[in-house]
Amino acid sequence: MLTEFGNVLVFLIIGAIFVAGGMIASWILRPHRPYPEKLASYECGEEPVGDAWVKFNIRFYVVALIFLIFDVEVVFLFPWALVYRQLGLFAFLEMAVFLVILLIGFAYVWVKGDLDWDKPKPEIPKIERRPSAMRASVKPQVESVTV
Amino acid sequence: MVEQTLHSLSQFLPETTLTITFCISILAGLILRNKPKVIPVISFAGILLATVFAVRQMGSSQAVFSGMIVVDPFAVFFKLLVGSTAVIIFLFSIYSQEVQSTLKRLVEYSSLLVAMTLGMFLMAGAVNLLMMVLAIELTSLSSYILAGYTKEAPDSSEASLKYIIYGALSTGLMLYGISILFGLTGATDVYAINRSLAATSVNSVALLIAVLLIIAGFGYKISAVPFHFWTPDVYEGAPITITAFLSVASKAAGFAMLIRFFKISFIDFNLLAAHAGGVWGLLQGFEWNKILAILSVLTMTLGNLVAVWQNNLKRLLAYSSIAHAGYMLMGVVVLNDKGLAAVLVYFMVYLFMNLGAFYVVMLVANKVGSEDIDSYKGLGYRSPFISVAMVVFFISLAGLPPTAGFIGKLFLFAALLDARWVWLAVVGALNSVVSLYYYVRVVRNMFLRDPEGSTEPIRFSFPQMAILLLLLVPTLLFGLFYSPIVELANASVLMFGVR
Amino acid sequence: MNFLGIGTLSWITFLPILGMIAVLLLPKENRNAIRWTALAITFLQLVAAAFIFFNFNRGLAGINTVEGMQFVEKVSWINIKGVPWFGKIYVEYFLGVDGLSVPMVLLTALISFVAVIASWNIEKAFKGYMVMLLLLDTGMMGVFVSLDFFLFYVFWEVMLLPMYFLIGIWGGPRREYAAIKFFLYTLLGSVLMLLAIIALYFSVTIPDPTTGEKIYTFNMLAMMNPANFEPGSLLAGTSTYWRYLAYIALFIGFAIKVPVFPFHTWLPDAHVEAPTAISVILAGVLLKMGTYGLLRIGYPMFPDAANHYSWALAVLAFINIVYGALCAMAQKDFKKLIAYSSVSHMGVVLLGMSAMNTQGMLGAVFQMFNHGTITAMLFLIVGVIYDRAHTRDLDAFGGLAITMPKYTGIMTVAFFAALGLPGLSGFISEAFSFLGAFQTHRYITIASTLGIVLTAAYMLWTLQRVFLGQPNEKWAGLPDINGRELAALVPLAIITLWLGVYPSTMLDIMTTSVNHLVEFVKQGGAAVAMLPK
Repeated sequence: MLTEFGNVLVFLIIGAIFVAGGMIASWILRPHRPYPEKLASYECGEEPVGDAWVKFNIRFYVVALIFLIFDVEVVFLFPWALVYRQLGLFAFLEMAVFLVILLIGFAYVWVKGDLDWDKPKPEIPKIERRPSAMRASVKPQVESVTV
Repeated sequence: MVEQTLHSLSQFLPETTLTITFCISILAGLILRNKPKVIPVISFAGILLATVFAVRQMGSSQAVFSGMIVVDPFAVFFKLLVGSTAVIIFLFSIYSQEVQSTLKRLVEYSSLLVAMTLGMFLMAGAVNLLMMVLAIELTSLSSYILAGYTKEAPDSSEASLKYIIYGALSTGLMLYGISILFGLTGATDVYAINRSLAATSVNSVALLIAVLLIIAGFGYKISAVPFHFWTPDVYEGAPITITAFLSVASKAAGFAMLIRFFKISFIDFNLLAAHAGGVWGLLQGFEWNKILAILSVLTMTLGNLVAVWQNNLKRLLAYSSIAHAGYMLMGVVVLNDKGLAAVLVYFMVYLFMNLGAFYVVMLVANKVGSEDIDSYKGLGYRSPFISVAMVVFFISLAGLPPTAGFIGKLFLFAALLDARWVWLAVVGALNSVVSLYYYVRVVRNMFLRDPEGSTEPIRFSFPQMAILLLLLVPTLLFGLFYSPIVELANASVLMFGVR
Repeated sequence: MNFLGIGTLSWITFLPILGMIAVLLLPKENRNAIRWTALAITFLQLVAAAFIFFNFNRGLAGINTVEGMQFVEKVSWINIKGVPWFGKIYVEYFLGVDGLSVPMVLLTALISFVAVIASWNIEKAFKGYMVMLLLLDTGMMGVFVSLDFFLFYVFWEVMLLPMYFLIGIWGGPRREYAAIKFFLYTLLGSVLMLLAIIALYFSVTIPDPTTGEKIYTFNMLAMMNPANFEPGSLLAGTSTYWRYLAYIALFIGFAIKVPVFPFHTWLPDAHVEAPTAISVILAGVLLKMGTYGLLRIGYPMFPDAANHYSWALAVLAFINIVYGALCAMAQKDFKKLIAYSSVSHMGVVLLGMSAMNTQGMLGAVFQMFNHGTITAMLFLIVGVIYDRAHTRDLDAFGGLAITMPKYTGIMTVAFFAALGLPGLSGFISEAFSFLGAFQTHRYITIASTLGIVLTAAYMLWTLQRVFLGQPNEKWAGLPDINGRELAALVPLAIITLWLGVYPSTMLDIMTTSVNHLVEFVKQGGAAVAMLPK
């Protein structure tokens, strides 16, 4: 007899056969009339400009990450809303604590300026060297003390 | 439900304190933007308070939050260990040039240290595999950032990146192992896993694969060979305070989890009842300790042999800490409480001697500007006191009496010989001879070589010396009067639900 | 026998620590205060050793009984009330001496005193030097008086670090190499010993002094009683695989200190590179620890293995004697020659020990003391000439008898004592050793006598090369030996002469204990009746 996982395996195999079967069948049955537009990214007529592999501004990542974090955290509100009536005040307080922590994170992001799109003054980090890194370039800084 | 949660919360005081401290630290950092030096004081106080709360948990033994976390002597022991390490690290930070020269980021530094401590507290008590992964992640995420804290230095950024990549890989492997184990037993709770393994027999190959994958996760945390690749780079690149914290607390928390997982998951409770305190019976005849024995031999041998060739002291200490993980694994291999007690004794001793060594490295790096072994030449004549302290820490790390390191080794070897793991004890003993060689290389540079360049004495302030004494005195004292640490270790091997 | 409520043996062991603290407190510019403090402390130690020597009851054997031990101090040191599964840990601060250790205690005190005189004019970091020397002194003394294995091991290891520094900082050109080699070799030996100690610990139980329950112990005397070995434990029974293995581990630990071939390669390096006073201590005291350890620990705890391997010990002794002598003969460096002569002479001790009879063992213990004094003289003599000429090349000298007559005189005593001339102490002990060994290992002993001939050869040859013949113009202006150097050498020379003429002074101390030990080992550790006086 098949185990539970065996069933999954059978399911996977059948799924693969279905997909492959469909593609193979269409490849055999369909007419072959290739022309250049068929290879375009957007067949609706939009002409792509340049390469898709370009550098995105790092700010997109920051915003995306922040969005992702808060988005996922807010998902917790849904199950909470479902059981809110059964738990009452306790649930309210618990969620309040949760939201406060979330808000602190939000405040941090805000104050640190990660929500500002246009940074008025780009900050160029000063190079502050650590001991192990300054071996080569900087003379050892020895605090001499009078005896 | 509510009552249960409230009760759990009352047993969760240290962790709650840390969470609140974390939030307050960040908020205070946002409000008091012009006084960044206040924040570490807040964080320090919070960790101190959490440690005090952890002390008050001593002796209790119960599961909280629907069996996700336990509060038992074993967990409390590791909480104390992690808490005291964090306290000492904060003291170090006062004199760390790396930290003090980046005051703008002091908020992140101290609050992330709190977060990391919180993660380790959770690691110490987690009994559910998912909780374990979450705790590991909390610790790891904080430590990734802290490892790259001095982001202006290229090696620090490199350290952080390497740490993330290796960390992600090993967590992935571990999760995969956990899912296989879940498939086999239908549980993520270690007690439930134990019950399931006791009730039905499982495919031994699948079990082996699952355990190997989980070991990858633990092995990464304790930097056991072959999961150690990140260690030297991270230890070298991270600020010394963070390196010291990782080398003691992170390792301790990893060990706490490893020991708990293996002991509870695979122990045969029926056999245990028959002879309490004796050798643990193993479910399914699965001898995981043999895997750990091989790992232990690899870890200490490779750690020691590679350390011999290092010229950067932080890197040398990184490899030495790998070797020490190997020694401590020996204590887990013997499958009895004596071995566990030996590991706990070793950790207490290791805390003082390893932190002490890193502290001296930090003080010297502040003045001399380098962590190279060559820059220690003639240090014994320029700064006798801290050089002598360094010698004490090093001979303690090498395991020579009359230092505490000897007691640690003594109990490990005693546990091994008592369980008749003679070959492993011999390997460990030979390894400690090898380790002496590279420790003595530093001692040689300090005392047997003349200073190069400046020969002026290097002076340190009184508080700096006081912190050094705080680590030096126990290292010597516990070498001669070790009753307290052994008694504490004996009392702390008890885990919730075992006997 | 207490002074200020602290026993004699504690005083003699920890006096140097007091001295060390005193020296640490002195300013480092004040060399005179430092050296006189050190001298006073070692002198007090010597007085205490003499006190023990004269108050020692020669009729008590010691070895395996507390009653036979003298000047006993026994205090609970570490007492960990066990949780049931862990067992109770009980370590005692347990000191005591018997006929085996008293000569060694005396020797240690004497050599330390001499060493301080010999280091009178150390140039570099004088304060650090004296601190290390005094710490070393405590370690050495502690080894000879402890009767608890844990304590013994702590003292044993405490010696390593000062020795490393003393060789490594104040030594000759190759000091770093010599120092680390010494350190690693010795540590290798001691970790093996540690494993053996732990194995013994888990095999031996004694009733708890208060509650009567069985507890594990580090008590050396308890480890000697076969009845105390728990049945089924690792080292229970006799002549088992594990017992032999433990004995070999212990033996390697001690053999490295002696040093027994093939573990001897650290010795020439360490002896040659160390400063004079440290060479004196190394050869005079440290080498004896190996043989002392074997007699105090290896033999009575593993009588079965000791009997079983006595032939192997004899073979090793033979190699030591002949190989050491041959190596000495080939040396051009004066100090290296003396170093190899130590290997050869310690071979005689081993040969005596392998005999397993009273004559041999007595010879061995006596030779330990005599070699300590004689070789100390030899190293001091080398130190004297090296201080003046700054070379130790044997071929560079010649005819020194004319320029330095007093020096030549005292040196002749030392050389003849070393080659075993009757009338000097070396003869008695070597004769006893060979006599004893001949009864047990006939052919090996006959072969070993070759060593005596070789010793005579290289000693006399050296004498000839350095002191006789045409005086070398280069050394015409060398001053003769001075008062301080004589102060170090003369007491040793007097002891050598005295013991050569009237050896009973020392033999009386040892006889009872050695007899008891021989009997004890012969019967495989079975309880032996206390021998009458």
